[in-house]
Amino acid sequence: MKTIVIEALIASAVVITLASVLGMLRMKDPFQRMHYISPPASVSALLITIAIFLQQGLKPESFKAAFITLVLIGMNTVVTHAVARAFRIAETKNWRPKPGEEVPVDRLDEPVERKEAA
Amino acid sequence: MNIWEIAAEVMIFALAPLAWTTMRGDARHRLVSFLMAGVAVTLLLMLLTMAFNRMPMMDVAIALALMSFGGGIVFARFFERHLP
Repeated sequence: MKTIVIEALIASAVVITLASVLGMLRMKDPFQRMHYISPPASVSALLITIAIFLQQGLKPESFKAAFITLVLIGMNTVVTHAVARAFRIAETKNWRPKPGEEVPVDRLDEPVERKEAA
Repeated sequence: MNIWEIAAEVMIFALAPLAWTTMRGDARHRLVSFLMAGVAVTLLLMLLTMAFNRMPMMDVAIALALMSFGGGIVFARFFERHLP
């Protein structure tokens, strides 16, 4: 039973990674492509770590795999944001939205006034 | 051949399109493919560690995960300052 669970976890991790790679290749915009880094970095790494814990038990390599998963999850969020910010600055020379874009630029530097719910 | 070896071999096929897109096209697309390749190779090293039952190899995966983080940040800063 444990072997079946381990095989299912590993197969799911590999399928998620392959699907993310293929999905990334289909996207034309780099901002869209960046979204496909998240599933392998979070879900696949977590599934592989669970499989290692199931097979090895509480061994040092299991905790190393858990550390790798934490690094990948944290790295993915920080690096994806940094790269998206860099792309934005390289394109428009400014991180903030231009006037007329989806988010009005004149509201960003002002304190947000929350309307009290009636 | 156990499930870890099969998974590692299948995972290698994911690297082929990533290698292709890392070497051609727009610089932004190449950087995103490079980041994805870092994640995929880290997972591949975890699978290979279990497949060959060489537990110290897990340290290589840790090193790659940490260095991918640093590399991604450095590339992002370089892109932000020096590329059009």
